[in-house]
Amino acid sequence: MRRGVPLPKRSMRLLNGPHDLGRGPVFWACMLLLAAGFLGYPVVASSFAATNVAFYLLNIPMALGLSVLWGYGGVLSFGQVAFFGIAGYTYGIVAGNLQDVAFGTPIATVAALLAAGLTAAAFGYFVFYGRVAAWIVPILTLVLALLLATFLGLTAGYEWRVGDVQLGGYNGMTGIPALQIGNLTFQDYAFFYLACGTVVLCYLGLRMWVNAHRGQVLMAIREDALRTELLGYDVRLEQLRAFVLSAVLAGVSGLLYVQWGNYITPSSLGLQQAALPVIWVAVGGRTSLLAVAIATFLLNQLTYVLSSSGNQYALVIVGGLLVAVMMFAPDGIVVGIARLRCWPALRWRRRADQPAVVPHGE
Amino acid sequence: MANDDAAVLRTEGLCKRFGGVVAAANIDFRLQRGEMRCVIGPNGAGKSTFFALLCGILQPDAGRIFLDGQDITPLPAFRRVRLGLGLTFQTNRAFHTLTVAENLETARRGAAQAQEDDAHFRAAYAAFSLAAMSHLPARELPHHQLQWLEICMALRPGPKILLLDEPTAGMSPGETMHTAEVLRALTRDGLAVVVVEHDVAFVRKVAESVTVLHQGAVFAEGSVEDVTARDDVRRIYLGRVRQNAA
Repeated sequence: MRRGVPLPKRSMRLLNGPHDLGRGPVFWACMLLLAAGFLGYPVVASSFAATNVAFYLLNIPMALGLSVLWGYGGVLSFGQVAFFGIAGYTYGIVAGNLQDVAFGTPIATVAALLAAGLTAAAFGYFVFYGRVAAWIVPILTLVLALLLATFLGLTAGYEWRVGDVQLGGYNGMTGIPALQIGNLTFQDYAFFYLACGTVVLCYLGLRMWVNAHRGQVLMAIREDALRTELLGYDVRLEQLRAFVLSAVLAGVSGLLYVQWGNYITPSSLGLQQAALPVIWVAVGGRTSLLAVAIATFLLNQLTYVLSSSGNQYALVIVGGLLVAVMMFAPDGIVVGIARLRCWPALRWRRRADQPAVVPHGE
Repeated sequence: MANDDAAVLRTEGLCKRFGGVVAAANIDFRLQRGEMRCVIGPNGAGKSTFFALLCGILQPDAGRIFLDGQDITPLPAFRRVRLGLGLTFQTNRAFHTLTVAENLETARRGAAQAQEDDAHFRAAYAAFSLAAMSHLPARELPHHQLQWLEICMALRPGPKILLLDEPTAGMSPGETMHTAEVLRALTRDGLAVVVVEHDVAFVRKVAESVTVLHQGAVFAEGSVEDVTARDDVRRIYLGRVRQNAA
């Protein structure tokens, strides 16, 4: 990007950039309409229904992070739930110990995101600076998640406590306080708006990121890591950066999750949960943030509705969906639908008369 | 070694072996500013190893590499690029999902620490007429234009040296000659270029000097006419001496 372009104009150009589905005024009008629908939803819905919808939304940041890391960056992590869990548990520990402190829960929020990010930075340093082969990364990240889940499962008993907060073993940590800023406690409708706002911010921010220079470097590494290195980029650093970003986003989802239920258990970091983000991202279409967001919402809704109606086969159905998508629409369902030629406003490729980036020096 | 300061790229005793195979044997190499050097040799002569050692994909077992007088032997590849080494590969390796403009922007910012002199880039970009397709995804470019794009990407940050590995592979004779002319013009402007090449017609067109590698070692070095006229060079390169060659 050329320097001197005013910030709002540059932001708009990045938002409307080519590396996601949907461009142009019609698309953004639809998105605004969708956002308005979510904003108005509490008017017609009970707080129970709104909280359920917030539950379908709360995994979207984690899925978007995995989309950036895997779809845009080519690095598959099978252990995003580790960072989800680290953030959830850290928030519970810090907030639980700062019950009487002003801004205790916002401090806990920052601490939780820091914990997720720093763990990812330390873990990722060894993975990426050690030049671990790409196909081993999913295994290592999965092992991280399973190790944490196993450890947290062993923390039953009063001796496993941090300050006033017990880790709780397999039963997990309960009574986690909700985020509170001043007199505003994020529960019920307020939590619904918190989830909506977080998802919108994550989506818009990441959409700008993938269209900006750093995102393009990440895609360049996905296509050809050696070529990218030989253009002067430190591939290890770029991959580590994306890994930490995706871990922090998983942490955001973990934070929303403990707001939603006020508890977290080691099964949130377990094998079954570890597979789900990969499924949401693959089913939607990992190279499109929008597709991933849509698929994550719908699949969470599907799982929730199926399992709360007593259906034992929710996971089997979601797993079967993954197999079907891999066989018949390997780019993802949403991406597949969007690429059908009947969508003028959602055109995937840039129109010939609209160069988005002018080369420096032209 | 009197005028070492003039050498923009220099290697001393570069060695690399893979098990029992000696891929680089004590290579001493000097490249002056504004020089166009072709590295030729039969298959398995060590051209690719030499190229990989220069750009940092491989680390030498012994020997040192100097860029503009600075020892770059221990540096990883991306640091060498930032110090002013531009290069292209034998195969098309532009980023196919990115547009031409995004490819060039990625190349420009990757080595931002190199001197920001884009005169060579501008000349090549104009000569290869790539501006008209700056908004196209690279995958839509025909083969020869992809290779030109790669040369432009290597030139984008303003390198001191351009390393090209068979830049005209798969080009038509006309495209090959055009590439040769553009490269000649760049060296007249002071750029140092090393080309690893098979195509003798191209070598005769561009090179002032030639280094012949054979079994990992420098076999001959000198002007194109002198070197290609030598019988021993012909023997290793062509497998036999043509009796009727003038």
